[in-house]
Amino acid sequence: MRNSSWKWVWIPVLVLLLFFGGLSVSAQTGDLIYDEAGLLSSEEVQELEALAEQYGAEQNVDFLFLSTDSTEGQSIEGYMGDFFDDRADSTGHEDAVLLTIDIGGREVYLAGFGTAERTLDAERVDLVLDRIIPEMQSGDYANAFEETVVTSSEYMEYRPGVNPESIFLKTWFHLAIALLLAGIIVGSMLYNAGGRVTTTPGTYVDRDHTRVRSQDDRFRNKTVTRSKIPKNKDGGGFGGGGGMTGGGRSFSGGGRSF
Amino acid sequence: MVIHYKCPNCGADMAFDSESGHLSCPSCGHEENIETFPEQNIERKFDEGEAKEYHCENCGAIILTEAETTATHCSFCGAPVVLADRLTGDLAPAKVIPFTVSKDEAVAAFKKWTRGGRLTPRGFTSGDRIKKMTGMYVPFWLYDIEGEAHIQAIGTQVRTYQSGDTIYTETNFYDVFREIDLSYLKVPADASEKMDDVLMDKLEPYDYSELKDFRMPYLAGYLAEKYDFDDEQLFSRVESKIVPYIDAYISTTISGYSSVSYTNKQIDAQKKKVYYTLFPVWMVYYDFDNKEHTFAMNGQTGKVVGKPPISIGKVALWFTGIAASSFVAMKAIAFAVGGVLW
Ligand SMILES: [Zn+2]
Ligand SMILES: [Zn+2]
Repeated sequence: MRNSSWKWVWIPVLVLLLFFGGLSVSAQTGDLIYDEAGLLSSEEVQELEALAEQYGAEQNVDFLFLSTDSTEGQSIEGYMGDFFDDRADSTGHEDAVLLTIDIGGREVYLAGFGTAERTLDAERVDLVLDRIIPEMQSGDYANAFEETVVTSSEYMEYRPGVNPESIFLKTWFHLAIALLLAGIIVGSMLYNAGGRVTTTPGTYVDRDHTRVRSQDDRFRNKTVTRSKIPKNKDGGGFGGGGGMTGGGRSFSGGGRSF
Repeated sequence: MVIHYKCPNCGADMAFDSESGHLSCPSCGHEENIETFPEQNIERKFDEGEAKEYHCENCGAIILTEAETTATHCSFCGAPVVLADRLTGDLAPAKVIPFTVSKDEAVAAFKKWTRGGRLTPRGFTSGDRIKKMTGMYVPFWLYDIEGEAHIQAIGTQVRTYQSGDTIYTETNFYDVFREIDLSYLKVPADASEKMDDVLMDKLEPYDYSELKDFRMPYLAGYLAEKYDFDDEQLFSRVESKIVPYIDAYISTTISGYSSVSYTNKQIDAQKKKVYYTLFPVWMVYYDFDNKEHTFAMNGQTGKVVGKPPISIGKVALWFTGIAASSFVAMKAIAFAVGGVLW
């Protein structure tokens, strides 16, 4: 603004800045990455921010990363709920996928808000957690978030309620069945090319004289085996399904210890 | 044709006694009613001059014709055949299924069959290269088999139920016993060495309602092959043929179990009656790609069997066609259900 003759050009920009004040202010400190616990390097923050931006635009949600040293006596669900209430109130962004890491309690929680509550339901949250737990355990938080963004985006493409990891939706499975089917059909065509056997076990049987003369079915003994229904995998699963934030926002979600 | 009634008692030829209307044995005096005389003791032999026998010196085939029919070439290898001196007391067939498919009908049916070959080369499907077609009566032994099976098995019934966080799998074991009477009628086995067993088996089944007592005129215009194996030699083959049938029957008698394991399976089968029978077969010789292909057609039902030439191109086409279309179909379903294509 050194040149006063250009001053008028800035007016609409200022208006816009005021209008989207909350957004543009937080953009400077990190619009999507809230690394309060300092788990990421500044390059990682930049990279992940760009990644989350890109995927978020495709899915029309905000992919959010929140880390903390302490949940201040709350459960991780409560803590992330308060955070999201604050953020949604100030930005107006209700559709989001939020990955919360409590490094103090060594817990992770993934939640879907707004449209993501349906497109990233508890079942899909669980599948994403399965994938990121190894990275959480090895302390590779940047990759854990990247994986979260990429995998969630992938899952959100599927119709809600469908298990995106279902074998019936896998291309390799389609290919294998197609090849198997073609092999069986063409194989049987080849096998039958020389004429088919059309006699059956009944062709020559004399039904008047083929019969069971005597029969006996006697109970002998029984065995019973017991097996416990397996508990939630990876030990520390909790908060499966989702819930409601203090501000009344419902979400899908699930958490794990790591 | 001469029919000998062998005395069940001593094996001598019995004579028909017109006074009593019975068969009586000149050596032991045994009497039998001609109506109920056991089939296995009846022996039919060719009369002198009613049949001719030709020998092929190239492949060893022995061909029978009735007296008026002349054979010049072997129906197997095409080499000239020579007339044997005389046919002395050879066993004559007891039964025959006459040809019902005429030569013209056989040619038409064969052409239709070649056109229907989905994997055969295009040149083959035009089907006008029939080199030679021979109507031949192929010798079979038909066995009436009687037997019994004693079965011991252990059957299990499995039930699972849940109580609290425990799944219980309850398996009940049962001792299963079955005593089974078995009877199979007129199970055929081809008695010709030259005819491929697999090919002949595939020609089955024949319609036995047209099974006739053998008479020489049925042979007129056709050739018959002489049997190479007698009914004793072939019994093991017919046994191996019915064992799967018996197994299938046994398993239908044991039901209601989730698994059955046999601990003892004793099957005794004996032949009760044997019929030397001629079945009508059209042999079709066909040249393709400088190779001769042989096909056989059931001369009663028109069923064609034989190994046709296979076009690799057509096999590949069918394979990729089926694979591609089922892949697309599954993708479409996956897309409809999941909303994602890849
Ligand atoms: Zn006698
Ligand atoms: Zn020959």
